[in-house]
Formats: sequence, C-alpha cells, structure tokens
Amino acid sequence: MPLILHGLPPLHWALAGIGIAGVTLALLLLANRRLGISTGFEDICSLALPLPYFQRAAVTSGRGWRLPLLAGLVLGGFLSAVLGGGWQPTWALGLFDEAIGLGPAGKLAWMFVGGLFIGFGTRLAGGCTSGHGIFGLANLELPSLVTTISFLGAGIVTTYIVYRVLFPLVGL
Amino acid sequence: MTLVYLILGTVFGFILSRSGAADYGFIQGMFLFTEFQLYGIVAVAVLVTAPGIWLIKRRGRTILGQRLSIEMKPFHRGNVAGGVLFGIGWSIAGMCPGPILVNIGEGKIYALAALAGALVGAGLLGACYPALQRPFALPPLKVGAGEG
Repeated sequence: MPLILHGLPPLHWALAGIGIAGVTLALLLLANRRLGISTGFEDICSLALPLPYFQRAAVTSGRGWRLPLLAGLVLGGFLSAVLGGGWQPTWALGLFDEAIGLGPAGKLAWMFVGGLFIGFGTRLAGGCTSGHGIFGLANLELPSLVTTISFLGAGIVTTYIVYRVLFPLVGL
Repeated sequence: MTLVYLILGTVFGFILSRSGAADYGFIQGMFLFTEFQLYGIVAVAVLVTAPGIWLIKRRGRTILGQRLSIEMKPFHRGNVAGGVLFGIGWSIAGMCPGPILVNIGEGKIYALAALAGALVGAGLLGACYPALQRPFALPPLKVGAGEG
C-alpha cells in the first residue's frame, strides 16, 4: 500500500522501528528526557489557559524541550513532503475519500471530533502512543500496558464500526 | 539544547511521515488487521528501546553527566477510560498526537482541525481535572498526569 503523501512507498517497518528507538534513546541518553508527545498539548494550552492544571511544574518545566520537539515534528513532515515530490496543501485522505467522501467542511468537522477524543483521552490516560506505547512498554510499566491495550482495543472496534458496518468498502 | 530537540523532532517526524505511522490508510489498516506495517514498527521500536533503556539506566548518567531520573507514569482508572477515548479518536482521525503535527507539516489541511480538537480536548480535561480526580483516582495536581 502506498502512502497518501505523493503515493510514496513506505519505509520498511524494521527500519522505521529502529529509527524511532534511536530518537527515544537519544532523548534519554543526551538529556534525561522521557519521550512523550501528548504532554506537548498541555504545554501549548499552558501558554493560553491560566487553569491550575496547566500551570503545574510538570508542564511549565517541560515546555523548553517539548515545544522544540513538537516543532521538529512539523518540520520533519514538511521536509518529507518537499523531498518526496514537493510541498503543497492538500485535502487528500485516501481510503476516507473512497468510502466516506465528505468534502472539506465535513473533513474539518470529522477531524475536530477525532481531535477532541485524542486530546481529552490522552491526557486522562497520562500519555499516548509514544509515552505509553513506546517508552512505557519498553520500560516495562504496567499503566502503559493497560493504556496501550485500551487504546488499541478501542481503535479496532471504532474502525470496525466505521469501515465494516457504516461505510463498508469492497475489497478492503 | 533547543536545537538538539528540534533536530530529534525533525528526524522523528520524517520517520513517522515516511513509514505509514502518520498515514490515515495505514492506521485504518492496522485496526482492520489488513496491514502489518504499524505492528512491525511499534514492536521493533519497543524491542530495541527496552534493552537501550536498561543499559542507560545501568550507566545511570546522561552523556553530559546528569544523573538519570525517569518519571514513572501513575496507575489509575484514567488509564483505561482515557485509553479508550484516545483509541476512538485515533481511529476517527487516523492520527495519534505526533502524526497530527507531522500531517500539518506535510500540508494536509484537515490535520489543523485535528490539532484544534486535540487542544480543546486537552483544555477540557484540564478544566475538568478537579471533578475527575475522585471518580478516576487521578493523582494530585502536583504529580500530574505524567509526561507522554
């Protein structure tokens, strides 16, 4: 299966896994940092919201390293597009376009709702795929195993409902 | 050090972009068990990171000589409830938090809506935290929900 991005072939999974492990270990070995992306949402919130939750030390003390890391993720995606065939704004969403086919306004609404679940859920769970799924599992932490099983299970059920029940696609 | 974090983030973002981890179709394929790609990526990442963390812990210090201290994530009912909510969102958007940012960088316009939703969602959790603390047995604010 090609990527939505310029129809590029994906990197081999083993290579990608080793690369992600390299970044995770570099953060720890260079700077004593535990990989985690969703806490970065709190960092951004803390810039605008005076709630006590966002002004606690665990958030404000981490902004200095997590915000550049998050900026790097955007830059990495940008470079990937530039080097892979050129950067251009796009609404293309692959499978979604074939099976569900909402226009731009519908996509924005769909993604906003997804984002709501992601933002609220990851912060309630204390982490996402990176902090729980990769670092937490690799560090043999039980809360991370429980969280990972929970989000994987819920994702499997939700995608089943969307693509097998509501919008079934022949050949998928 | 800011530059180091920016570079590591860029490398991470590039890998997520090119591996399928930030691709809507590969995420749905993972959840439908029609694509092995994401399972392979996460399995290799965890299997390589685990001995690496063990070795760095044994060393006990960073490259710059700082004493190692890994903040452990607290165990509470929010792990299951939050995990389930996040899984629903991951399936709907086809992106987890890192890939939301990667997709924005790639030029996928709808990813901006996912980021807006995620920030509102995180803001809501922050606003509701005092009310959720008892039912979900969440840690006191000083400790926080951990990094991740």
